[in-house]
Amino acid sequence: MGSIKIFTKAHCPKCPAVKEIGAALKKEGVPVLNFDLDTIDGLAEASFYSILSTPSIVIEDEREREVVSWRGVVPSLQEVKQYLLK
Amino acid sequence: MATVIEMKGDHQEFKEEIETTDMALFVRTSDEAMYGWDRQKIVDALIRETYVDFDTAKEIAREVEDLIATSKIKMITAPLIRELVDTKLIERGLEQARKMHTRLGMPLYDVDQLILHPNKENANVPHGPEATNLTLAERIKKEYALLSVFSQEVADAHMRGDIHLHDLGFIDRPYCSGQSLEYIKRFGLSLPNSIAMAKPAKHPEVLLAHMVKFAAALQSHFAGAIGWDSINLFFAPYLEGLSDPELEQLAQMMIFEFSQQAVARGGQAIFTDLNLYWEIPKHFENVPAIGPGGKFTGKTYSDYLKESQRFAKALFDVYQEGDGSGRPFFFPKPLVHITEKFFQTPGHMDFLYHICDVASEKGNTYFVFDRGETAKISECCRLSFKLDQTDFEDAKQPWKMRYCALQNVTLNLPRIAYLAKGEDSKLFSKVAEFVEMTVKAHLEKKLFIEKLLSLGEKGPLALLAMDRDGSPYLRMHRASFLVGMVGLNELVQIHTGQEMHQSKQAFKFGLKVIAHMKLLVDKFSQRYGMRFVLEQTPAESTAYRFAKLDLKYHSPKSGHIVKGDISKGEVYYTNSTYLNNSAVLNPIERVRQEGLFHPLIEAGALTHIWLGEARPSKSSLANFVMKTFRWTQNDQIAFSPEFTTCNTCSRTSRSLRSSCAYCGSEDVDGITRITGYFTKVSSWNKGKIGELRNRYRNQAFLEEREGGMALEV
Repeated sequence: MGSIKIFTKAHCPKCPAVKEIGAALKKEGVPVLNFDLDTIDGLAEASFYSILSTPSIVIEDEREREVVSWRGVVPSLQEVKQYLLK
Repeated sequence: MATVIEMKGDHQEFKEEIETTDMALFVRTSDEAMYGWDRQKIVDALIRETYVDFDTAKEIAREVEDLIATSKIKMITAPLIRELVDTKLIERGLEQARKMHTRLGMPLYDVDQLILHPNKENANVPHGPEATNLTLAERIKKEYALLSVFSQEVADAHMRGDIHLHDLGFIDRPYCSGQSLEYIKRFGLSLPNSIAMAKPAKHPEVLLAHMVKFAAALQSHFAGAIGWDSINLFFAPYLEGLSDPELEQLAQMMIFEFSQQAVARGGQAIFTDLNLYWEIPKHFENVPAIGPGGKFTGKTYSDYLKESQRFAKALFDVYQEGDGSGRPFFFPKPLVHITEKFFQTPGHMDFLYHICDVASEKGNTYFVFDRGETAKISECCRLSFKLDQTDFEDAKQPWKMRYCALQNVTLNLPRIAYLAKGEDSKLFSKVAEFVEMTVKAHLEKKLFIEKLLSLGEKGPLALLAMDRDGSPYLRMHRASFLVGMVGLNELVQIHTGQEMHQSKQAFKFGLKVIAHMKLLVDKFSQRYGMRFVLEQTPAESTAYRFAKLDLKYHSPKSGHIVKGDISKGEVYYTNSTYLNNSAVLNPIERVRQEGLFHPLIEAGALTHIWLGEARPSKSSLANFVMKTFRWTQNDQIAFSPEFTTCNTCSRTSRSLRSSCAYCGSEDVDGITRITGYFTKVSSWNKGKIGELRNRYRNQAFLEEREGGMALEV
């Protein structure tokens, strides 16, 4: 299984929802990485994926290739799980 | 005015006469009048120019008089007297007073050398009397800036090479600017201190004449480029009913006017950027158009799409042909904005092919990418102003859309890496330190410019203070303060052992450094209510300067890091956030990777695609441009072919050669893009020559195909 990277920012109205998804997945043992765009690491990582708006989610496989991403939108937990199971 | 003091008679007589106020000593001035020696003049100068008290001043004056009297010198100049006074100030530990009293200027030997030999700091300035004037004036203003405008701390940081304060010789000016033609369309040409006033133009040729004059006046008030927004659109209301030949003629006039040498700034051509649109930019769609006579035509700009497009095409026809000897035009620079609306506007593919053909044939075209809802005005090689909500409001009265960057201060990133000695926390904290120093420099320059502006239309920056529409021409609240960088690639190399193109980790580390800088400038912007933005410094001479200084202060490590040939002195650091220019990378991959930095670099960025002698087909370049727009975040790209021009037979051939392809003469010069503009290679400084040698010209990705040469994507 690859990894799931979640990008959020302060004062971002849709971000809490996405953070919840991350928390739920973490409980199930999924490797979730949270990146805050107000931090150096967060902004740098977001730039690497050309993430310009929050919230965003990127799922990568074991070879660090992008499988799917949601940018500026909040997917449902179902949708996300779908891709992780593949 | 130099004053020459002549000693009269025997020195012994002097000593006896010292207590009297009229020594038998004459001061000869350069306008051939004679004044008697008067030590009171020393006192007056000290009181006027420094904070030294009256008694000390009197004491010093007497001591200097003694010194002169007992010396065997027959002729003393005022500068020498000043130096003698300065030594007295130093003896007393009055360093601040000494700084205030000091004389600025250049040694005789240096002036002699200067008049004879060209100065290569700016490849755009041709050698000649105006250029010499420029260098002399810049030297003095530079000293003045470092002594009197910037604090000791900032000045020292610059001298050390931690940072670079750009255009110190233009301390009394802002940096680059974005202009609107609407201003002179509406108000005509009525500049402060001008001899004659011109009413708004009625005809396009006159409008062009106004534009050129205004540009020249602006050029002498800014250190950098003069960018013009939506120029084909704003000319359009004047072009109704023009036949094709007439329009072609106008396009020729515009390009030839701006490609010739002016007088301002040492005789160089006016550094002009023309922003062009195939479509009507959204924010101008419903704006009432200004036409002949400066009057509203009753239509909006949407109604002038046809004329606007015809003019854009005509301009590119002229660029395609080149100048009288087939060379590419160096100026004005055409920047075509590629937007979503571009692709929705009929005829865009033909236009795209046309401008790509020009890009391949002559290299002129700059492709600026405005994705989503962004709109930008570009000037300089990459500086751009992103328009925000207030600007879109201003767009309803387009003559208000005037922008500038007040100053650029650049960080020496490799230096930071040497100082950090491999420690992450030290590196990031040094970056913060250097950025803070940069901010300090900006605050100091802003204060100085505001002082000059406060004297209004009768002051030294009259043109920038002039008010015709309710606000001064220079709108300080829309000024940017640029924080630039040089050598990110080398910083990463020093700190991680790898260059950015060599591994993902190295590349990501580079992103971290720039992310750090971005967060810092945002914080400072909030704190001071000023717009601090990151910019990719063009670094024409800065990359060379920093490399040389680091070879001096950070050897032996720097010897392994600087790029170029140390033995030839052709050393440089990789520009701004670029990947190593010699790395063999698929150009679209280079565009994509470099583009990842661009959203962080708000004031503008650019990626070069060096073509060498290759001439890819227009369809191949168009394909490249579209892919760049859709699949990358890259801000701006430019394709650069290379040429050789012969000074003997005046013909121009493709690729850089040591002898003419036509007549075999060795008296040739290369032409290609230096950082963001075309110029002759003979005027380049050593660092840029070194960089030129290393440019990877994408040979592995250019292939001959049926439809022509293709740039592999």
